[in-house]
Amino acid sequence: MAEVVVPIGPQHPALKEPVNFKVVADGEVIVRLELDVSYNHRGIEKAAEARDFVRVVPLLERVCGICSHSHTTVFVKGIEEAMKVDVPPRAQAIRTIVAELERMHSHLLWLGVAAHEIGFNTLFMWTWRDREAVQDMLEEITGNRVNYGINEVGGVRRDLKPAVINAALARLPLLEQRIATYADMASRERTMLMRFQGVGKLTKQQALDLGAVGPTARASGVDYDVRNDDPYLSYPDVPWKVVTDDHGDVFGRTLVRVGELREGLGIVRHCLENLPGGPITTKAPRAAPRAEVLSRYEAPRGELVHFIRTNNTDKVERLDIRTPTLANWTSVAVSLVGQNLADIPVIVAAIDPCLSCTSRITVVDREARRTRTMDWEELRAHGIRFYREKEGS
Amino acid sequence: MSPLAKGTVAAAFDGLGPVEQVRGNRIRLTTTPGQVRDALTKALRELACDHVIQISAADNGKTFDLIYHLTGPHRTVVAIAVELPRDRPEISTVSDLLPPAGIYERQIHDLLGIVFAGHPGLKRIILNEDWPEGEYPLRKDWKPDPSKFYGGVREGAQ
Repeated sequence: MAEVVVPIGPQHPALKEPVNFKVVADGEVIVRLELDVSYNHRGIEKAAEARDFVRVVPLLERVCGICSHSHTTVFVKGIEEAMKVDVPPRAQAIRTIVAELERMHSHLLWLGVAAHEIGFNTLFMWTWRDREAVQDMLEEITGNRVNYGINEVGGVRRDLKPAVINAALARLPLLEQRIATYADMASRERTMLMRFQGVGKLTKQQALDLGAVGPTARASGVDYDVRNDDPYLSYPDVPWKVVTDDHGDVFGRTLVRVGELREGLGIVRHCLENLPGGPITTKAPRAAPRAEVLSRYEAPRGELVHFIRTNNTDKVERLDIRTPTLANWTSVAVSLVGQNLADIPVIVAAIDPCLSCTSRITVVDREARRTRTMDWEELRAHGIRFYREKEGS
Repeated sequence: MSPLAKGTVAAAFDGLGPVEQVRGNRIRLTTTPGQVRDALTKALRELACDHVIQISAADNGKTFDLIYHLTGPHRTVVAIAVELPRDRPEISTVSDLLPPAGIYERQIHDLLGIVFAGHPGLKRIILNEDWPEGEYPLRKDWKPDPSKFYGGVREGAQ
């Protein structure tokens, strides 16, 4: 059967955020795919150059609604390195608690979205209900459900009172039980096994060659995790381990995320129980000396990088953001090839794409290896020819 | 695998330029645009780097800086830094050596106007399709031209 181009998006009921796929299919099988995610470009990197360190933090918090704490932490961490400011251990622990709660709410959200993509809406309702518990904890700790506003250069803006710590600790046992249920379901539930196993396969070598990051890479047996490789915040002092899996498919990515939920809960509990005393902030200078910092952070979706250059003023000279979704698109383009059209939603959802993050810069990969190249005009001509032949004129 | 020592990196990059250790696990080579492919090949083969973290690009007012950040099982960040002249910002692509670099190169091309020679499809990816040609918003000397249309909805359009 001849190939057909199926355009999907940028506005489409199956997509949560604006993205355009041009899927080239032969019958039901995907031959190649092009992505266009430029619909959310807001020029944040340019805007960051015009704001001082106090005002740029809220701006970066809004790069993404889900991993807002990731973007501010990676930035203030970089600026603090440039300024050579030591952040008090209590502030580091509070940042770690918020970071892991953010990872938990993000992974629970992902689990719900993935369940929804395969039509398993009961699980979607369950995970999102349990995600509310995490959101409530975040609200009690930071004052906000999203865009927490907890970070500032030099420390955090809000201390944890004993009542808040106790309330958070009291919520953990139920959450732990729910996570155990999901871990059990992910490895045994029939619907999930049928739709996740063998779908969107990526071998370890492919994951490395295509530069996949985060749970996508770790599900293919690549054990890169910035929390372990380039330790920051309180991670060196907390007992936890990097979760990996060897399945390499959507099933493996689910197991990794469920494993990270469990690890995240352990980290939160450890930090709450062993919260160091002392101040929560240090007075940071207004300006940063001339410096260049590559600040790395393990966001829920993978390695997030801010390249920061300062120049003796109170503003950044250059901020270059590389988001995990940008790094992961190449692997999606490859893992979709040879799969069924019907598997697009779940494979795309499996990297947990965050388009607001990504299309602040963006992506397309028309050069992904193993995908045949055909330009738009060729495709158009091909489409016209195909329909002419089909209609017999 | 243990972290890379500065000496190991300097030996691998012998003859390519000065190597410095910025901090614990950050080692940086400064080289010339013509030698970037050599340096990258050595990083991949001799230093076991298998992951490109980012290609950072910056306009320092006089020249453009490109910094290729790589890492591998040793968890050390090896950076390869080059400077490109402003009047002719061109460098050969590394997307054939490192496939994920292809995306980053297109992004840099779009925002800073650096040309990656030999790149298979250096087309627009970040800016909207109706963004005018030859306008690179992350250059320090860039100012929006009031007579040009930068995309979106035209004011006063019916």
